[in-house]
Amino acid sequence: MDKSPIISMKNISKTFGGFVQALRNVSLDVYAGEVVVIIGPSGSGKSTLLRCINHLETADTGEIWVDGIHLTHKSTDINKIRAEVGMVFQQFNLFPHKTALENVMLAQQVVRKRDRSEAERVARIQLEKVGIPEKADVYPAKLSGGQQQRVAIARALAMNPKIMLFDEPTSALDPEMIKEVLDVMLDLAKEGMTMVVVTHEMGFARAAADRVVFMDEGRKIEETTPVALFENPEHERLKLFLSKIL
Amino acid sequence: MVSSERSSNQLIKQIGQRFSRRGWLLAFFLLDLLIIYGIFNNDKLIDAWNFVIRGIGVTIQITIWAFVFALIIGLITAFGRISKNVLIYNVATFYVEIFRGLPLLVIILIFAFVVTPAIVDWIAQSPFDDVVQVIFGANPETISTTALRTRDIDSVWRIMLAFALTYGAFMSEVFRAGIESIGHGQMEAARSLGMTYVQAMRFIILPQAVRNVLPALANNFVFLLKDTSLASVVAVPEISQLTRQYSSNNFRYPEGLLVLSFIYANLTIVLSTIANYLEISLQAEKREG
Ligand SMILES: Nc1ncnc2c1ncn2[C@@H]1O[C@H](COP(=O)(O)OP(=O)(O)O)[C@@H](O)[C@H]1O
Ligand SMILES: [Mg+2]
Repeated sequence: MDKSPIISMKNISKTFGGFVQALRNVSLDVYAGEVVVIIGPSGSGKSTLLRCINHLETADTGEIWVDGIHLTHKSTDINKIRAEVGMVFQQFNLFPHKTALENVMLAQQVVRKRDRSEAERVARIQLEKVGIPEKADVYPAKLSGGQQQRVAIARALAMNPKIMLFDEPTSALDPEMIKEVLDVMLDLAKEGMTMVVVTHEMGFARAAADRVVFMDEGRKIEETTPVALFENPEHERLKLFLSKIL
Repeated sequence: MVSSERSSNQLIKQIGQRFSRRGWLLAFFLLDLLIIYGIFNNDKLIDAWNFVIRGIGVTIQITIWAFVFALIIGLITAFGRISKNVLIYNVATFYVEIFRGLPLLVIILIFAFVVTPAIVDWIAQSPFDDVVQVIFGANPETISTTALRTRDIDSVWRIMLAFALTYGAFMSEVFRAGIESIGHGQMEAARSLGMTYVQAMRFIILPQAVRNVLPALANNFVFLLKDTSLASVVAVPEISQLTRQYSSNNFRYPEGLLVLSFIYANLTIVLSTIANYLEISLQAEKREG
């Protein structure tokens, strides 16, 4: 690919509390339409890397460009970039005081300044897309985990983001609900959405990923295609990790 | 036949369970009726009632105004208390600690005898003198020849700040705890959708936080209502002050204090019951979602 990447991270380092080195000199480029899966043991810095992309964490050193905008530059309007980057969390983080429909509408109205009827129209389309239009008027507490996560995906998609970030979207789900969420993500990948996904679902990586990044102890250890990853993992650590999760 | 008998037994049992823990309320209600009967039939009690009840307007006025101001002050201070700005945090914390640390009675004395006169002196020399005089009911034709005096200020307003600031300090901690009780994920989700900090607070955090602290706010209202009795020490004509006046004039302490307790208890028990109900329905809502 000779186009410039839509996400470009150069030499990112991040330390928490002065001594926990969450990221050590990580660089990563993601091109438009790509699906990049990040794997690695717990505490290896996957979430931190993802959260640096939409500036929920601030990198100590290094540079980040998202959609041609310099993120690590002081004058950048961070909210504008966040509206272009959807994020899905392990714990769903739906707004419990709002119905599914209102969850999907709110940011459209507040951030995108769409009027009520337009926001509702978009929200209903997105709920339809994630397969739960009938739950529009239900509060999150009455939804199953899988349904909540699908509403969370709809909420992010309703902003028409250019990039979607997923941080272990199925890790908090009961096994029987994992598929319904992965199916939504696979559809999204097929449509050409740019996605960065932290997950241990190797089936998803195999089916959708253009590249797989393996992280350990804050470092990017290996970056490869899914086929190469499973057929001949290079590093000992990666072999060990794969033997544990497969 | 048998089954209907059983279900009616169950019903009685249910009602019994429901009301067995309401015995105190029943006792209170009966006592209430007794006192009302007394007030209507005993000349001394009627006399005391007629004298004391004139202060109810002042008691309610102080309570409601101070509560409204305390809500505003408390909310603003809560944001100071969670602020990352060191200066703002320290100013807010200083205020909270001082006002929580001093007895309310002392704060009332300070405001009545030091702060309010100082503010009045300052206004009297300022360009606002005429305006403030008119607000407190001076004749617009003579204001240019007079200056504002402390006694021009309605007694309710002389001590209003003492209550508002004291309860503002208490309620800022209620609001702060409420805001902090909302998981960090809520703020992150809102911010990741592009909302600003203020938008996230307004649409996501505060609506949930305020709901959670409604019972605590209602309880503060009850405490505030009771604490307004302290205003009697600086001659604010609320119900406690009038009771002291009535009782010492006529040597009728039992009558005066019975009437006074009757008024406070009825107000506070009604309000506490509402607060309890709020709490129970919020908990039920949380359980059901
Ligand atoms: N907010 C934080 N404060 C302190 N330490 C943190 C914070 N977030 C992450 N860390 C630490 O940084 C390291 C990487 O965390 P994380 O990115 O969450 O890893 P992963 O998502 O791969 O499990 C861990 O050691 C974790 O304890
Ligand atoms: Mg993580």
